Amino acid sequence: MIQLQELRIGYQCELLSSEHLLLEAGKVYALVGRNGIGKSTLIQTMAGLQKQLAGDITINGQFVSRLNAQEIAETISLVDTRFEGVEYLKVKDYLALGRAPYTDLFGRLGTKDWHIVESVATDLSITHLLEKFTDEISDGERQLCAVARAFVQETPVILLDEPTAFLDYINRKKLLALLKLLSAEKNKCIVLSTHDLDLCLDHSIPFLLAAHGEIRLHTSLSKEEIIKAMS
Amino acid sequence: MICLLCFLPIAMYLHLMAGQIEISYASFFDSFWNYDANNTTHVLVREFRIPRLAMALFAGAGLSLSGMLMQTLFKNPLAGPYVLGINSGASLLIALSLMTSIQFFQSNFGLIGTALIGAFAAGLLMMAVAQRLKSQISLLLVGLMFGSFTSAIVSILESFAGAESLKSYTMWSMGSLQQVEFGQLGFISLIFLVGIAASFLLVKPLNMLVIGEKSAALLGLPIKSMRMFVLLLTALFAGLITAFCGPIAFVGIAIPNLTRILFQTSNHRYLIIGNCFIGAIFLLLTDAFIQVLEGHISIPLNAITSIIGAPFVVFLLMRKLR
Repeated sequence: MIQLQELRIGYQCELLSSEHLLLEAGKVYALVGRNGIGKSTLIQTMAGLQKQLAGDITINGQFVSRLNAQEIAETISLVDTRFEGVEYLKVKDYLALGRAPYTDLFGRLGTKDWHIVESVATDLSITHLLEKFTDEISDGERQLCAVARAFVQETPVILLDEPTAFLDYINRKKLLALLKLLSAEKNKCIVLSTHDLDLCLDHSIPFLLAAHGEIRLHTSLSKEEIIKAMS
Repeated sequence: MICLLCFLPIAMYLHLMAGQIEISYASFFDSFWNYDANNTTHVLVREFRIPRLAMALFAGAGLSLSGMLMQTLFKNPLAGPYVLGINSGASLLIALSLMTSIQFFQSNFGLIGTALIGAFAAGLLMMAVAQRLKSQISLLLVGLMFGSFTSAIVSILESFAGAESLKSYTMWSMGSLQQVEFGQLGFISLIFLVGIAASFLLVKPLNMLVIGEKSAALLGLPIKSMRMFVLLLTALFAGLITAFCGPIAFVGIAIPNLTRILFQTSNHRYLIIGNCFIGAIFLLLTDAFIQVLEGHISIPLNAITSIIGAPFVVFLLMRKLR
């Protein structure tokens, strides 16, 4: 699915590098590491928003850096750190924007598109929010809507930058379980950056550990071992 | 929405009938179908009332659309062609071409071309500045600074200018809807219809831009070309209106906000229609009011729109940003 090959990322100077890493479809990966280590940079680079310094990222054999805007939109969806809500934008219209890569010139949704919006809203149990304005719901509810929009986009890869940051404990747990379930069910490759070590361990989610300038994949580390590796 | 559809003809009727001389229905329609150049009523209708009505319609709709486009593009409810100096850019170039020997264009439509270039250049400048600013208020301040800067240059130009060119610039800068002749209307309406049609083609990109440029780009929107396209369209509306009617303040910032509040939507399919109607109705009524007073005193249009618009913007600031 996603392959990182001899990747070096950063802005002017290198932040992180990786050897050969393979992320499979149907799985969720938790990108962990300390503040400022370059987790967001890695996610931005994987989404094609930021150029890598060296090496390659491929998705299903295609180089991300060579995809055009439309191809990116059909391959990768990104849930950014924070969606602040927009005045008079209803949740259902916000979710509907996830269909933008597939709709016509005027952005009209067909019945099939609305069906996708509704089923995703049902999956994430946010159907009661659909008619509300995005700037009048809570931070946590907005976060769930942002995740929902990514699912509406129906891309094989979903990247989430700290999706659990504004959620309460119950919702965090629910979201992780749901991501795991949906990744398996819909054969998606999901990468989320997070600081919730315990929850990821509970769901036995493999870790992409960013520490000491390197990204490594770990599948069976205990909490103590991870903390030791990070510091 | 239907309310607005009914209200526009009423506003148009009020505007037509607001002049000092009463006009009967018969002579109104005759001035179209049986035009008689010796009949003063016919001349009045064709050369004064109709062009003024059309310009109130176009200027109201155009400025509001231009403001709506800028507010979406800059993701800032306080953006508008006047506050961000689009008008100032057009004014500066017009002042340069009216009061110095530099002529940008020689043709009859020279003033329009000049204004369009000024408006677009100012738009590009604001775009470049906006990329470096985080706060929505800062952009507003930069726009105001740009306005002060250009008006300072214009003042310096004025002190060097000859009496004749000074007069023509001052007349223009008062802001008025009656500087257009009947013959020019076809051309102006054509440009406006093209502009409005182009706005409708932008419905999807604009709706995507609402959630931010980065998110829109990840949904497949080519941001850079879209920015240019929206900016060109903004400059087309604002520049054209500035060229023909002089600077008209606050319509472009106030009406799009009013439309959003009234329609309770962020969908541009409805916002475009709403802005056209509400903007046109607002300017028609404002200008009708000016016409009613005209027998006694003559007030510049710009003054009335500012008196209504400035407090409304203060209200918006208190409501949104505190």
